[in-house]
Formats: sequence, C-alpha cells, structure tokens
Amino acid sequence: MFRLHDVSYAHGGNAGVAALSHISLDVPQGEFRWLLGPSGAGKSSLLSILSLEVQASAGMVEILGVPVMQARRSSLARLRRRIGTVWQDFRLLPDLSVFDNVALPLRLQHRAEDEIAHEVHAIMKWVGLENRLDARPLQLSGGEQQRVAIARAVIYRPALLLADEPTNALDERQAGRLMAMFHRLAELGTTIVVATHNDAIVEKYPAPAIELAHGHMVRDYR
Amino acid sequence: MARRRYHDGLALHQALPGQFLPFLVAAMSFLAALALAGGIAAHGLSQRWTHGAGAVTTVQVPGPDDPAAGTGTRIAAVQDILAHAPGIITAHRLSDAELRSLLAPWIEQTGDASLPLPAVIEVHTTAGQDPMPPLLPRLEAIAPGVMVEHDSVWSDRLAALAASLQACALLSVMIVMTVAVCVVMAATRAGLQTRRQAIALIHSLGAMDSYISGRFASRVGLLALVGGLGGSLAALPMLLAMSHLAAPFAAVTDAQATAPMDWRDPAAWADIVPHALLWMLLALPPAAGMTGWVTTQLTVRAWLRRLP
Ligand SMILES: Nc1ncnc2c1ncn2[C@@H]1O[C@H](COP(=O)(O)OP(=O)(O)OP(=O)(O)O)[C@@H](O)[C@H]1O
Ligand SMILES: [Mg+2]
Repeated sequence: MFRLHDVSYAHGGNAGVAALSHISLDVPQGEFRWLLGPSGAGKSSLLSILSLEVQASAGMVEILGVPVMQARRSSLARLRRRIGTVWQDFRLLPDLSVFDNVALPLRLQHRAEDEIAHEVHAIMKWVGLENRLDARPLQLSGGEQQRVAIARAVIYRPALLLADEPTNALDERQAGRLMAMFHRLAELGTTIVVATHNDAIVEKYPAPAIELAHGHMVRDYR
Repeated sequence: MARRRYHDGLALHQALPGQFLPFLVAAMSFLAALALAGGIAAHGLSQRWTHGAGAVTTVQVPGPDDPAAGTGTRIAAVQDILAHAPGIITAHRLSDAELRSLLAPWIEQTGDASLPLPAVIEVHTTAGQDPMPPLLPRLEAIAPGVMVEHDSVWSDRLAALAASLQACALLSVMIVMTVAVCVVMAATRAGLQTRRQAIALIHSLGAMDSYISGRFASRVGLLALVGGLGGSLAALPMLLAMSHLAAPFAAVTDAQATAPMDWRDPAAWADIVPHALLWMLLALPPAAGMTGWVTTQLTVRAWLRRLP
C-alpha cells in the first residue's frame, strides 16, 4: 500500500520541467490500479516516485508504511527490496545473461545459489523463456526482453509491483497471461500499479484507474 | 558457482582494469620507498652524528713529556683526569704513527721529521652530554696551552642537514600519497562512470551503498596492494645496493665496517639493510592497499549520494 499527499515533482529540480502537480492518492494493500493518461501525462514520473528512483519535490510520500521523505538511506534501500518495477525501457544489463539478469535481485539479497537457480527456472518457465537462459538480452526480441524484465520484477515477490507499459511489446495471448498473473498476485496481497495508454487492454480487463493529464490527476478510481 | 555471486552487473574487471592502477601504484610506492629510505638513513646518521659514537672531542696537549705541576708527565696527568671523569667513554691517545699519518702532508712539506708534535687524545663522550667544559680549568692547570676541540660545529651542521633531509623525505612521501589518492579517485570515478547504468539499476533493486562501495573498494584495494608489492620489490635491490655502499658509515663497530661481506649469507643481507628499512618495505604494500581501499570507499559513497 502507499499514500501520496499533495505531491509535486519537476524533472531537474524545482526550476525544471513540471511533471506532476499536487497529486494525492491512497491505494490499500492487495489492490490493482490502472495508471492512465496520454503520452507525456506523467505516468512514468509518478511510477519513479513510487519506485524510489526520484524524490518528490514537495508533498508527503508513504510507501509500505515507510515515510519516504524522512527515511534514512539504508531504510530506503531495504524498502526498494520490497518494490518490484517493470520499467518502460526494461533496463536489462546487456553484459549479463538472461539468467543473471533475472537472478540479480536475489543475488543482491544474498540468497543461496541453488535457491536462486530454482526460482529463476520456475519464473522463466512461467514467462516461456526457460530455454533462453544463457542468451544476452540484446539477442532477444522486444517482447522477450519485456518478459525477462517482468520476471526480474516479480521474482522476489515484492509487496508493491509497478509496471510501466508492461504489455506494449507482448502479443494478446501473453498480455492475457500477464494480466492473469497480476490479478493472482493482487489476491495474494501485492499492491499493483500498471501504467498504460492502451485503451483496448483497459477495456478488456476493467479495474479501478488513476488518470493523469499534464501532470494533474483528473480521475481517481471509477 | 561461487563466482556467480558477483554476477551483479558491476563488471569491475572492465570498470577497473588490472594493469593501469597497479602500475601507477607500483611507481608511486617505489618513489615512496626511496623517500622513506632517505628519511630513515638521515635519521640513522643524525643519531650517530649528534650523540652516537661519532661525537668526538680532541684534546691537544703541547709538550706532553714536560713535567706536570704535580708528579709525572703532563700527558699522564691529563689522561688520568680524563680516565676518571664522568661522561667519558674512552680517551685514546693517538700513537706517534697515527699522528704522523694524520699529519703526513704537512710534515712532508716542511721536510722536518723531528718537528715537536703535541699529543692528541681522542675523547668519545656519552650520548647527548658534553663533560669537557667543567674539566677545562683543571687540565689548563696541569698542562698550560691545552686545547679542547669539539667537532660540534660539524655535528650540529650535520644534524641540521639530517633534519632537513628527513623533512624532505616526509614531504615527498606526503606528495606521493596525495598523488596516489588523486589517481585512485580518478580511476574510481572513471569506473563508476562506465558502470553508472548498472549501478543505478542495482541501486533501485535495493543494493546498499555499502555493498556497492565495498565491491569497488575491495577491487581497488587489491590492485593497490599488488601495486605496492611491485613497488616494494622494485625498490629492494636499489636499497640493498645503497645500504651496502653506506654500510661503512653506518657501522657500529670498526670490525663491522671493514669485514668483507659474505654475499651468499642471507643474514648478512639482513644485516646491511637497517631493520627499519625492511619493516618499511614490508609495511608499504598493505599501506598502499589500505589507502586505495579507504579512498575508494569515500569516493564511491560520495558519488552514490547523487542517487536518491
Ligand atoms: N528526464 C527528464 N528530464 C526532463 N523532463 C522529463 C524527463 N522525463 C520526462 N520528462 C517530462 O516530464 C513529463 C512527464 O513525462 P513522463 O515520462 O512521466 O510521461 P508518461 O506519461 O510516462 O508518457 P509516456 O506515455 O509517453 O511514457 C513530460 O513532459 C516529459 O517531457
Ligand atoms: Mg512513460
């Protein structure tokens, strides 16, 4: 769960490009939310505040019970281990194999190697890439890379899952599988926010939505 | 499989290649070793010159065989006083032969072998003391015209020289250290820059600052340790050769100074190199490693502050 109160954010400091203005949100645990709005509306900016990649310029941010603005660096690092993010640009490391990319979060948590191998094989089987483990990300298609990015975000069972256009490179069947997994994870208690400007998929999988336009919130819930 | 633990995307073998840094650290350790060796040598010599066995006072007694005020000859009376004075270790009267060899150039010039020579007594005093001034009136009383000559002008100058050599050595070491720290910082920053995407990623996956800085610091620390080892090893033959050349001046006893060295005996090698020098060479690699480790820790942590 997370709460934002009157949050504003500008790229490049307060004098920079205003990306978000006066956003207030309250999403309880285990809830799914669409994050909607046209290109440039501020969806990725909002997700980067929630994934602790940037600090809000003003306002109050509380994620999984941690007041982010006052937290120490080490608490923020621990908090990041409970947040999974599928970035719009995937952010796979090109010089690591697919296996090592997906294993990365678990390695950073110093899990045992045999446990890591087990988890990676299970999740890669689920995304249908169990025989591409030794490939490099750049040897994969866009949709395959996206599935690797999704696997890396869910492998450590985050309490908060953020996905930025996670279906834009997927075919319909895979998008359907992904949505099914999201709903299953939400049932298990994961809070999920999925940004998209793909209206078709929102219509096919109706759920509460947050809608942004020009950095302002135009709708919360439906 | 254990290697896989470090498949964390930092790829430090590329970010901090293993040739450039050790080479530079080796060169700087080498310079530091030379500077430190100079400092140690200067310290040793100043010890010797200011209050070691090298502090010599000469006492000239004119007409040594003339009768003294009391009984016996003047020279005997003077030697008697010196023998019993506190603070004097030895008082050795130079033999005629020693005296003549000392004065040979002048005697040959005048061609007069029967020139009346004064007696010369070489007095070694205890460290840091000058027992001569209080004795002077008594010596004057029994042997008028007695001359006490101190080499303190020399030893003072030499001590001042040694002190400034030591200061130079210290300054050189500090400069070398500063340059080494700058080089390590530059190399670390370059490494951070080349891996900034991977660092940003593992940061957002929850890697602690201490994890990232620790990974960089152990790599740099290891490279600096290797470099320091190289520098120490490179300096060793040079310092051995210089110690060997300096051995006669640093020797405690005459026997040590003149005895030929047995090159095959490792103990003899250890003897000619002052122990302080050996310790310095041993301490240099870990010191280089520590310097690299600490510098990198601080550099990386400061750099990571740009990430929220
Ligand atoms: N790094 C940046 N520096 C400066 N301005 C930025 C930066 N990233 C985004 N912006 C600006 O902030 C605003 C919001 O961008 P954001 O990426 O959040 O939009 P979005 O809703 O995710 O769009 P899209 O659907 O195209 O991904 C835009 O006007 C964009 O130009
Ligand atoms: Mg976006």
